[in-house]
Amino acid sequence: MSIRFSLGIDLGTTNSAIALTDLECDHTEVLEVTQIIGPNQIGEKTTLPSALYIPHPDEFPQNSFALPWDSGIGDSTIAGYFAREHGALVPDRLVTSAKSWLSNPHIDPRRPTLPWRSDIQEEKLSPLECSRRYLAYLKNAFLYAGRVRGRNWDLSDTGVVLTVPASFDAVAQSLTAEAAEAAGLGKVTLLEEPQAAFYAWLAQAGREWRSLISPGDIILVCDVGGGTADFSLIAVTDSNGALELERISVGEHILLGGDNMDLALAYTLQAKLEGEGKSIDSWQFLALVHAASKAKIALFDDPSLPEIPIAVPSRGSSLFARTVSSALDRAILELVLLDGFFAKTRISDLPQEARRAGLQEFGLPFAADPVISKHLARFLCRSRANLNGSQSLSALAERQSGPTEFVMPTAVLFNGGVFNSGPLRSRVLELLTSWNEGRPVRELQGSQRDLAVAKGASFYGRTRVTQKGIRIKAGAARSYYIGLESSMPAVPGFKPPIKALCVVPQGMQEGSELLIEGRDFGLLTGQPAEFRFYSSAVRSGDQPGQILPDAERELEETSLLEINLPPLPDFPAGQVIPVQINSVVTELGTLELWMKHMNSNRRWKVEFQVRTD
Amino acid sequence: MALAAALLVIMSLRRGDRAKSEPPKGDAATLITVPAASNQAEAEIVSFLATLQERGRLVDFLMEDITSYDDAQVGAAARVVHEGCKAALREQFEVRSVRDEDEGSIITVPAGYAADEYRLIGSIREAGPFSGTLVHRGWKTERVKLPRVLRVDPERLPTIAPAEVELK
Repeated sequence: MSIRFSLGIDLGTTNSAIALTDLECDHTEVLEVTQIIGPNQIGEKTTLPSALYIPHPDEFPQNSFALPWDSGIGDSTIAGYFAREHGALVPDRLVTSAKSWLSNPHIDPRRPTLPWRSDIQEEKLSPLECSRRYLAYLKNAFLYAGRVRGRNWDLSDTGVVLTVPASFDAVAQSLTAEAAEAAGLGKVTLLEEPQAAFYAWLAQAGREWRSLISPGDIILVCDVGGGTADFSLIAVTDSNGALELERISVGEHILLGGDNMDLALAYTLQAKLEGEGKSIDSWQFLALVHAASKAKIALFDDPSLPEIPIAVPSRGSSLFARTVSSALDRAILELVLLDGFFAKTRISDLPQEARRAGLQEFGLPFAADPVISKHLARFLCRSRANLNGSQSLSALAERQSGPTEFVMPTAVLFNGGVFNSGPLRSRVLELLTSWNEGRPVRELQGSQRDLAVAKGASFYGRTRVTQKGIRIKAGAARSYYIGLESSMPAVPGFKPPIKALCVVPQGMQEGSELLIEGRDFGLLTGQPAEFRFYSSAVRSGDQPGQILPDAERELEETSLLEINLPPLPDFPAGQVIPVQINSVVTELGTLELWMKHMNSNRRWKVEFQVRTD
Repeated sequence: MALAAALLVIMSLRRGDRAKSEPPKGDAATLITVPAASNQAEAEIVSFLATLQERGRLVDFLMEDITSYDDAQVGAAARVVHEGCKAALREQFEVRSVRDEDEGSIITVPAGYAADEYRLIGSIREAGPFSGTLVHRGWKTERVKLPRVLRVDPERLPTIAPAEVELK
C-alpha cells in the first residue's frame, strides 16, 4: 500500500500536537485535537495538554466523559485540557511530565508509579503506559478528525513520524517507540525535536532558504518549552556545490522551562502581596501563576506598558469582596525573567551542580540552576569537546575564528512557547553576541513556535516518502558502551575502574549495523547476564571496539543491559556460548543491540532494563 | 444506545481481518452519534453560560449585589471577568465590528442592508441609501465554535457551576 499521508506527532512534555501532510496535494495542516474541555463539554484545541487525570470512581457520574470514539469499555482516565485544569485542583490524581520519566534510569518505566508520590487507591500508571495513552489518544483524534471531514484517513497508508527530545538516549527513544507500537501506531519513525523545528523552518522559508543560510553557518536550535530546554547544533556545509545540513551536537535533558518562569513570577508577586498585608491561599496561588503568565506575555508584547494589573479572585462566589489586586511591573518582570533566567553571564559561567544531600528527595531531576544562560554555555562548551573528538567535525570547528573553548553559533532558530516573546529572543541573541566578542549572531525567523515540531515532523515524513527535499544528516547522536568486568585480582579497599567497550560510534547511520570483532562474550543458557551500559554525547571520535579505561569518569551511565538465552537444543546447560556484539541502528532511528553467535548466524536481542541502585 | 453498540460490534468484526495490534477499545473509525434530546438547545445555551462562568466568573460577577462596593473593588473583579471572558470569546467566536470606521465619522448605510446589521436612529425621512453619523460600530461574528455538550439529560439542564467542596 503506498503512503498517501504523513502524520507528524509532537509528544511534548507539557503539550502534544499533530500535523498531517497530504502527499498528493502537498498540503500540511495542524489537526485540532478533540478533547474534554469542561465537565460535560467537548471541543477542539490545537494542542493536547500532556496531562492525565485519574478520577475517583464516585467523583463523576458514569460516562460523563464519553469521547466520540469511546465504546464505553476501557479506562476512565481523562486526558487533555480538562485533565490539566481540574487536576490542578486535585493534584493527587494528576499525571504531568510523564515523558521526562522515560529518560530517568533509576525508575522502571514499566512500573505504575504515577501520579508520583500519590496515595490514591485507584490503579496508578507507569510512565510507559502514560505515553502509550497519549499516543493512542492522538491516534484516535486523528482518525476521528478524518471521519468528521468525510475523509478516509487510515493508518495503513499514513507514515507516522514521532518526535523525541534530542537529549533522549537510545533507551528512552526505544521506550517511546514501544509506546507508539502499543498504542496501535505501528512502527513509527523517530525524529529529534530540534531537527523537527528546523524542518518546519525550512518548509516555511520555502525557496528562500538557500539564501538565508550558507556553508560555514552553525545553527543553534534553541528550544525552550513549558518544562524542558533542549539545544542542538546544525552545521551547514558545501558538498560539491550542494548545501548540506548535519546535526553535530545534542544537549542534555534540562528540566527547566516556561513553567519555572511563571512560578518564579508568581512567588515574587505573592511575596509582594504578603508585604502589603494581603495573603492568598493555595488555590489563589494557582490563579496567580496563570495571571502572571498572561501578564508576562502582555508586557513582552507591548514595550510601552509600564505594568499590567493583576486580579486574583478567591474560589468562592463573592468576587467583589475577596478579589486581591496587584500588578506586575516591568522592573519585576525584567529582574526575574531577563536577569534571573536569562542573565548576561560569561561563557565560563556554568550551571551549579546540585549538592547531593544524604537523603535525596527522589523524583525528577529538576535543574538545580535555573539560569538558562549557563546551561547554554555548558552546551556550547561540551559541543566543542565533541567537535574536537573527530577529524571531520574538527574541520567544521576550525573554520571559526575566535574562541576555541566553545562552539560559537552563527545563527539561531528559536522554538518553544517561551520564545514567542520578542524580548527573550533578543536577550539570547545579545548574550551570544557578547560571547562572540561583539560580533552579532543572527536569527532565523520561526513562527508558530508551539506547533513547529509537529509540522516539522510531518514535513520530514513527506521528505522521506517522496525522496525530495533536503534531509539533515544525523546518525546516532551519542556513542554507546558496554561495561567490562575487570580481570584484576580482588584487592580489599580498592575498586578497579570499569572499562567500557564502544559498541555504537557517534554518527552511526540509520539503517546500518556492525559487529564488534575481537571482543567476545560468553553466555550461558537459562542464566540472565547483565551488563552496564553507558553513553556519551561528547566523544565523536570513539570507534567501535575501542576500550575506555575508566567508564565512570568519562561516560554517563544509563540503564542496564540484560540478556537471557532460552534453553537451546544444541547447547547443553553449562556450556559457554561464544557471542559477539551486533549493533543495529534501524531505518526508523532506534538502536538495537544483539548478541550474535560466532559460528552460526543466530542472534539474541539484548533488553534495556532499569538500574535499581 | 443498544443499536449503536450492536453496530459497533458488527463494524469491528468486519475489520478484524486486518492484522494490526490495536487495543481492544472503541474504534475511532466508527462515529457514535447520539440523538438530540428534547432540551438540547437549552442545554447548549446553559453550557455556554457555564463556560463564561468557568473562564471569567461572569455569573459570580452578575449575581453579586454591586451597590455596597467601591469602584476599586468592582474594578478588580471586573478585570478577572474581562480576562477570562475575553479569552473564551476569542476562542469561540470571531468577533468583528459591523463597520470599521471611527465612531463619530459620517458613513453611508448600503442599500438593501440586512435588518439586524443596522439600526437607524434620529429622523428617517428621505429614501435610502442613508448617510449619517456612526454612533456605535456594531458587532458581528464570522463563526461560532462552541464546546459541545457531551450528554444532555432531558430531565434537567446542565449546571452552570458546580458547588465546590474541599476535602482534606
